[in-house]
Amino acid sequence: LTTLLVILMLLVGAYLVAVLEGWVSTGSLRPAGPILSAVALLGHESLVPRKPDRIFFEVAPPLLLISAVLAFAVLPLAPGLIITDLATGALFVNAALAYVMVALLMAGWGPDGAYAMVGGWRFLGQLIAYSMLIVMPITAVAMRAESLLTTAVVQSQATLWNALYQPVGLVVFAVAAMAVCFLPPFDLPTAPGELAGGVASEYTGWRLAVFRLARALLVVTLAAAITVFYLGGWLGPVLPPWAWSALKTLAVAAAMLLVGRYTPRLREEHLLAWCWKLGIPLALFNIFYVGVLLLVV
Amino acid sequence: VEPGGAAAAVISGAREARPSPLRRLVARAAARDLRAFVVPGPDVARARGLDLEAAGLRLSDTPRHASVLVLVGELPAGLKEAAAVAYAQMPRPRAILAVGAGDVSPLPEPDVSAPLGQEGVVSGVGELRRSFAEGAFAPEAPEFDVDAVRTQPQYVCPMHPEVVRGEPGSCPICGMDLVPRESAGDMHHGHMGHGHMDHERPGHEDMNHGDMGQGGAKGHDEAGHEHARHGDAHAAGEGEEQGDAHDAHEMHEHGGAEPEEHGGHHDHEEPGHEDPGREHGAMEHAEGDHGGHERHGGHEHMGHGDMGFMSMVAMTKDLPRSGDGLPMEWVEAPLGPLFPGLPGGLSLTLTLDGDTVAQARAQGVDGRNLEEVTGPVGGFAARVARLDPLSPVAYRLLATRAVEEAAGTPVDERTALARVGALERERAASHLNWLAGYAHLLGYAWLENRAASLQLALLRAPDAEEIARLRAEVLKLGRRVGRTPLLRSKLRGIGSLSDGVGALGPVARGSGQRTDARAEEEVYSTLGFEPVFREGGDAFSRLLVRLEEAIQTLDLVRKAGSVSIPALNLDGAYLDGVGAATVETPRGAATLGVTLEAGEVTDLELETPSSKHLELVSPVAEGEELADALVGVASLDISPWEVLR
Repeated sequence: LTTLLVILMLLVGAYLVAVLEGWVSTGSLRPAGPILSAVALLGHESLVPRKPDRIFFEVAPPLLLISAVLAFAVLPLAPGLIITDLATGALFVNAALAYVMVALLMAGWGPDGAYAMVGGWRFLGQLIAYSMLIVMPITAVAMRAESLLTTAVVQSQATLWNALYQPVGLVVFAVAAMAVCFLPPFDLPTAPGELAGGVASEYTGWRLAVFRLARALLVVTLAAAITVFYLGGWLGPVLPPWAWSALKTLAVAAAMLLVGRYTPRLREEHLLAWCWKLGIPLALFNIFYVGVLLLVV
Repeated sequence: VEPGGAAAAVISGAREARPSPLRRLVARAAARDLRAFVVPGPDVARARGLDLEAAGLRLSDTPRHASVLVLVGELPAGLKEAAAVAYAQMPRPRAILAVGAGDVSPLPEPDVSAPLGQEGVVSGVGELRRSFAEGAFAPEAPEFDVDAVRTQPQYVCPMHPEVVRGEPGSCPICGMDLVPRESAGDMHHGHMGHGHMDHERPGHEDMNHGDMGQGGAKGHDEAGHEHARHGDAHAAGEGEEQGDAHDAHEMHEHGGAEPEEHGGHHDHEEPGHEDPGREHGAMEHAEGDHGGHERHGGHEHMGHGDMGFMSMVAMTKDLPRSGDGLPMEWVEAPLGPLFPGLPGGLSLTLTLDGDTVAQARAQGVDGRNLEEVTGPVGGFAARVARLDPLSPVAYRLLATRAVEEAAGTPVDERTALARVGALERERAASHLNWLAGYAHLLGYAWLENRAASLQLALLRAPDAEEIARLRAEVLKLGRRVGRTPLLRSKLRGIGSLSDGVGALGPVARGSGQRTDARAEEEVYSTLGFEPVFREGGDAFSRLLVRLEEAIQTLDLVRKAGSVSIPALNLDGAYLDGVGAATVETPRGAATLGVTLEAGEVTDLELETPSSKHLELVSPVAEGEELADALVGVASLDISPWEVLR
């Protein structure tokens, strides 16, 4: 039952994210938009390109979906409202998200189209930029919680949210999170205007619907991860715990989407340069800083 | 059949299926979620004052994600063919909305035709929704199988690749029988076994050939459109597709083992293992879209085969070297004429070395020439204005002034001022239109929406008062752009033309030059005009120049006090003479020379900024990463319509 409830909340979250995304990209709010789009896509043909790498082409969208759901499975919405509270939960988030890269690379290679191919390889480059910035802030979070249990991470923030305890970690992790879900300005693999949809450009019909759903789920998952790791998860007065989780997650997702509306897409070389020259030193400093705080305070 | 009856309601690209109640529901949802692929491009739609999004369409970057093909204005032959390929790529159900497009063959008859104008679009979309809801599914869907998405089969001599014929026969050099191929690179395809997959399906070969040819030999549309056949040959052929793939795989694996089956691949006979590598290179030149898989095919081939193993060194021995010394296979990627990040109609052929552009070539809109506009003086200005939908006012004015020069008609000050008003308003609108398209390429959604809505408001502004209000808005936009994080770092150093040689207009002024035809005109000096210019010579300084010009220009409109162009006033009947005029169009100075004989324009000579700027494409793009090259090329603001032969 818990699983069902969590999946339901995830889907509702994805729906709201899709509404927000529509608003951010077009400037007009259409609450029924995602439903109409999804139904319309199901009614369209789902074409298979001329010379696909069939397995890669078919597996990529579901794999993206699975990777998002798996990562979400270890994130608590409330005490007890979690699919599985793994002892290695915080690490598992990172492990599950690794498949995002695999899925996008497959989606890029599979259809044998130039835009998709460039998009897929670009995301491999993007992974090199963001991957360390996902792991290192989680390390500092786990240090404070003295546990990799995601529930323990939330409880460790009872006195002070990690957002305030280690703000540098939050910034670094949020940037990396946006890069994982290839949201603008990190939308290098899909790059509308530049690659005409990139990795998604050869998907049509229900396969495109799965791809878009997976992307929306990924955004919810990453927003939930930020909530759990930095914004105290379900902690909050008055409202029930699950409501706090939902509110915070949605607020984070909205912020992630809004940033992209007001910034141009990053250049690949800048992304790599900044992530390694600035991001990694900051993440290291964050680990050191948290370590000192833990020892001294 | 009665209008509105079942048979009449089927849309041109209906999906083949029995319209069950569930499907009707789906069709209704699809009708409310129409995604449009715009031909020639959203920039042309905006320049014609159309707001497609306000009419309820969502714009799509690729025909793959679109359900409606929107045709804006009359299209030259080249664009109609490109549009047919795009249409063939769209998944069914799909439909065509023609807005003032006239004859659109080879495309099917548009489902809805509307006159050019916002009301036309709004009512057209409404009508389209109705027919989509009713006719998205039909038991018998119409086929779309025309020459434009097909090419003629070619026959080539196995020993002499230079011998290419349109029909079967024997080689004039060696007398061997000619063998069929799909396109320039396809000999090598066959060799992989890829090429043969098409033959497994009798009846559809032509279609496939056609798509192939488009991808390779003609390179009309964006990469990847060779998939067109799926939309056509198989309305709902999932199963069939599957079968296809199997066939392909089978062939693929056997390709290496039985080379003798594939006549025409004499390369096989040669022991040297570098051959496949080289072949892949050659093939990719012809068929840019297949970069990866060819290589993939190659590897499989080696694994299965009789060719043994091959080292990377041997495989890459003959490949061209790029700047960093790494040998890569060069891929030719045709972008456009319907590429979402470039002005609609501009074709860009990039030779990619990895993701770096090794060579770049640009081409304007195909299939038009200057002779169309010669003829009687009456209506001449309107005909010239139609040449470039992106800046019709500037060209109308250019034609008017050239004729006045030739006829020796004097122009009074009031007329000159009104012309300044009209020209400058268009300049601001044109810069904003460019900015909207540029923001789309940059992935900057807010700027795209804002610039597009200001551009439309400016085009529709009824009087100087409204324009003064818009000036304040444009000023705010400019400040905001200047403050945008990441924008400067993204654009600085991109598309660099430090001295601005060969450039005109804002491109030259973004390189610190003060070239501006307006500076020499008396009427502008009375308005206190000074050209805007910036040092830098890169995409960022061009952006700033255009923004500042948009603001400056609106000041000029305010001072001129009028925004309507007075009609051409020729009261002499003796219309003979030779004259030339230069107008600073939004893209730079254009010069038109005309010869009048007895009231007819018999000869004319036109120099446009975009035809010069086409030559800047290679210095701007070459050696840059793909995205940076596109940003650089787009920063030149080339109007493909100005490029006439």
